[in-house]
Amino acid sequence: MMILDALILQIKLFLSEDMEISDIEVIETHDSTNLELDRLELRDYTSMIATGGKLNAMIVISYDMKLLNHLVEVFMDGEEVSDEEKQEIIDSVSGETINTIMGLALPQFPGRGKGVTITPPITVNDATNIKKYKNSRIISATIQTEYGCLSISALGSEDSIK
Amino acid sequence: MLNILIVDDSLIIRKKLTKLIEKLGHSVLYDASNGQEAIDAYGSKKPDLVTMDITMPDMDGITAVKEIIKLDSEAKIIMVTSHGQEDMVIKSIQAGAVGYILKPITEDKLAASIGEVFIEYAVNEDDEDILEDDY
Repeated sequence: MMILDALILQIKLFLSEDMEISDIEVIETHDSTNLELDRLELRDYTSMIATGGKLNAMIVISYDMKLLNHLVEVFMDGEEVSDEEKQEIIDSVSGETINTIMGLALPQFPGRGKGVTITPPITVNDATNIKKYKNSRIISATIQTEYGCLSISALGSEDSIK
Repeated sequence: MLNILIVDDSLIIRKKLTKLIEKLGHSVLYDASNGQEAIDAYGSKKPDLVTMDITMPDMDGITAVKEIIKLDSEAKIIMVTSHGQEDMVIKSIQAGAVGYILKPITEDKLAASIGEVFIEYAVNEDDEDILEDDY
């Protein structure tokens, strides 16, 4: 299975089975090798995980705020979020979501993900896009739900992103 | 009742584990957000059990397991991990961890994992299938 297919499949399963979302549809995919795409446009909130070892890449998930707020609600399971903790909780849910999806998708990556390591997730605030550098490749999909959209993307060298 | 130390850099996972541990009738002694904090807390709190994340900034879970085992060779540490981290789980077990839980964490998985380490909290055989089905 290709990297983006594996990520899309696991996002769909995660949103439907764990996050109580029923209306999930891939509405758009992009590949920088087929388009004059030189940057990855980001949504309201973004987390990313770097992979190393046999795959040097960056996996980026970017959410509409309404969708991320829904994920926070489900993660918190009815518990109130205090103002002091709110930002850390949002960061934590965003990071934990990509961490879980990566963990589930990795065994379906080319080579079954063997020898691939992942870093702890990082969250990016106030960024609108990530620019492609020379021979790098970006593949990306936008997934729509009843709570808004998220995009999932893989960035890396042309020979590593399959 | 077991006194448990939670180690995870994710606040949401620490909250979830706290809720589930208390629901199972145990107590959370402390929650640490990185490996070094976990080692310090283990030394001062002497918990019955540790739940340990693997991928954390500053000091990862495997290194923290090794350091805790140096402090107490009988320490009971369960790794909390995602699919796709099988190599890390094996390294953790080699370092001295006694079990693992695969995310997403549920009450059943946590109860089964605790029951495998502490026989007095063992769940019945039907429930144990929940863990085995995951790998």
